[in-house]
Amino acid sequence: MIEFDHVTRTYAAKTAVSDLSLAIPRGELFGLLGPNGAGKTTTIRMLVGLLRPTRGSVRVCGYDLVKDPRSAHLHIGYVPDEPCLYDKLTGREFLWFIADMFGMPRHLAGSRIDREIEHFELAEFADDLAESYSLGMKQRLVFAASLLHDPAVLILDEPMVGLDPRSVRIVKDLLRARTQEGMTIFMSTHTLAMAEEMADRVGIMVRGQLRFLGTVTELREQMALESQSLEQLYLEVTSPAGRNPPPPHPA
Amino acid sequence: MPGRALPVESVRLLSVDEEGRRLLGLRTRIAWQTIRSMLSFARLRLTLVILLSGMFWASLYGLFLEAFAFLDALHADVVSLLFNTFFSSLMVMLVFSTGILTYGGLYASTEARLLLTLPVRAEAIYSHKFHEAVWFSTWGFVLLGSPMLAAYGVERGSSWPYFVLLLPFMLAFAVIPATLGGIVCMALVAWLPKLRLHAVSLAVLAVCVTMGWVVWSIAVPVRADTMSAAWLERTFARLAVTEQKLLPSWWLSTGLIEAASAGRAGQHAAASVAEAVKFLALLIANGMLLHLLANRLAKAAYRRGYSLLAAEAPTRRQRRMGWFDQVLINAGSAAGRPLRLLLVKDLRLFRRDIAQWSQFLIFFGLLGLYFLNLRSFDYNNSYASMIGFLNLAVVGLILSTFTTRFVFPMISLEGRRFWILGLLPVQRDQIVWSKFLFSFIGGVVPCCGLVLLSDLMLGLSWWLVVVHELSCVVLCLGLSGIAVGLGARIPDLRETSPAKISSGFGGTLCLVLSSLFIMAVVIAAALPTHLFLLTPILGPALGGRARHVLTWAGGTGGTLTSLVFVMALGLATAAIPLTLGLRSFRRLEA
Repeated sequence: MIEFDHVTRTYAAKTAVSDLSLAIPRGELFGLLGPNGAGKTTTIRMLVGLLRPTRGSVRVCGYDLVKDPRSAHLHIGYVPDEPCLYDKLTGREFLWFIADMFGMPRHLAGSRIDREIEHFELAEFADDLAESYSLGMKQRLVFAASLLHDPAVLILDEPMVGLDPRSVRIVKDLLRARTQEGMTIFMSTHTLAMAEEMADRVGIMVRGQLRFLGTVTELREQMALESQSLEQLYLEVTSPAGRNPPPPHPA
Repeated sequence: MPGRALPVESVRLLSVDEEGRRLLGLRTRIAWQTIRSMLSFARLRLTLVILLSGMFWASLYGLFLEAFAFLDALHADVVSLLFNTFFSSLMVMLVFSTGILTYGGLYASTEARLLLTLPVRAEAIYSHKFHEAVWFSTWGFVLLGSPMLAAYGVERGSSWPYFVLLLPFMLAFAVIPATLGGIVCMALVAWLPKLRLHAVSLAVLAVCVTMGWVVWSIAVPVRADTMSAAWLERTFARLAVTEQKLLPSWWLSTGLIEAASAGRAGQHAAASVAEAVKFLALLIANGMLLHLLANRLAKAAYRRGYSLLAAEAPTRRQRRMGWFDQVLINAGSAAGRPLRLLLVKDLRLFRRDIAQWSQFLIFFGLLGLYFLNLRSFDYNNSYASMIGFLNLAVVGLILSTFTTRFVFPMISLEGRRFWILGLLPVQRDQIVWSKFLFSFIGGVVPCCGLVLLSDLMLGLSWWLVVVHELSCVVLCLGLSGIAVGLGARIPDLRETSPAKISSGFGGTLCLVLSSLFIMAVVIAAALPTHLFLLTPILGPALGGRARHVLTWAGGTGGTLTSLVFVMALGLATAAIPLTLGLRSFRRLEA
């Protein structure tokens, strides 16, 4: 569902992402980890079409993000790290706008909006202007908007920022249920516990390169550190003086 | 391979028309909600905006009515030349303003980032943001142009078709330079991303030099024979460069003059209206063609340009002014060091905020240019004195817009960062005082310089210069006190945008109080001078006691009394809001 094919992105003389090749199949929840400045945001921006690769290509559901961005976007739901809403629209109006832009029939849009309002417990403030929302309320609304059209691919950039523990639980349950239904999820996060709990596979990026790709169990095996937590493994992989696991192989 | 996608019967790609309709629906909903919010929470602001706009419109209408009556008597062709000059200048300004607004909307807004991740055509996003840019860049043109054109129609005795065609003409014209601005903006970002700032700076410089040359060549070398027939002939010859038949400004001017002449032409009225409609059609056709080209360009270049900008490496700050900051920090006692550190911090923020210093430079620069040209006209004493005080008021009014827009929100913005300041060994009072000093010093230097320039150009006597300079210092003191004091008294700690903070209730109150204060200071300072000038006219007609009072009020006693009053008013205006603000800021809980 998601394919990075020898993708490189440079910022002037700096290489933010270097020769990234990665394929994520249908129904997988993939967690992208890495320290600040590792290239995670650049990778996500290329995946949602905000940034074009300097070399290589990115495809979602077979559609190239540069050549046919609209078709690719039709299959993507995106939750950015900073929620973007219209201050002068209510939550419900925002959801209608998103449904309209995805060309959803009115009756279907109405029922999906009700469904997401219920899932994310938005009913209490759905008819207030977004300018009065807290960060957590905004984040829940953006989640609801990203799932309205039942996308094949959901892209999450630091999805739990601003969410209270109850909302985090709701999101986790929802993500698990959606992946079982066949949705592919690409998640960038700093929360190692979340990645360990949720992700089928994780990728660890360091200075623009994918230093590890596989399951947490594989990481333990490759590092020969059976008893260590993901946090210790992560620190070992991302440390400049740390040991490197064997190079990753795209799935 | 596209065939691998999941079934997506519930979603589909929209047609061009559907995308346009839905984005228009979005804009309509946002506009409606904004109006509802303003009616509920910002009635004072809305009332003031409508009232002041109405007053501005009516004043301009009256002024233009007088001007056209004078010009009509002088020569009818002058109007055509003036229209062409006015509209061609406006065309250049619209290209720049819409280009800059389009840049902000397409490449720097969070809305564009959202829309680019939805299945929307690049050209639909461009059109959506372009409409926004056109609205913001043309309302000033309509507000300024409509009273002028309405006055022209009334003066010419035009019939109804002229007035019906006015708005379509103005809008059809505005679309052309606005679209050009959008095209230039997208092309620069897509193909010259690294040179975009240099290219715009060079273009602005070229326009300024050209306009400066035109103004200089008209006004300066012929001081002695200003408004003579030879001067007018030379001026017309220089301005004739704007009467190019390929320029949209010429189509607009000619079309409007044709439409206006329909009322006088009798049997030829229909022909004149038809001719005017032909020019309107020409404007609309060209606007549509350019819009089509812009859409094509957006399709080819918008996403590419957005990506290029997003991939720009952040520029590293060069510490060019580091030495100045260090000197400022180390100058003075250790006790005052926190205050100076806060001052330097605000100075750095000001230097790095192009929106602040560029507006400061443009407004005060234009005012300086106007003052420099004052000597091209000869005034008798009464006019020179009156113009001197009016210039003082203008300087104060421009400063008040800056203190409202940039100084008033400063405390609110500090409130957002209160967790940093709260932990520093800095007294809260020092934060407020640092803002006040920043505003006062930043205002008093350019304002006093400009007032001095105006007085020197007008050739005013030294005591009038002293009165003006003292009044200017008082204005800076009071305006800074109002902005900082009110900013601390009624901060908006939830808002992060200084523009929104200044356009709220507090900002509006700040602007209104500032305007009233300026009026009070200028009237009080100007009164003795004008009573002095009136003494020879009114004096003989008045009785003994009344004449004595008039002589005293227009003499040294009156002048000194007015100066004492002006200074007391300034001190009180600075002290009262500052005291209230300091008290409130000390109690503020972050």
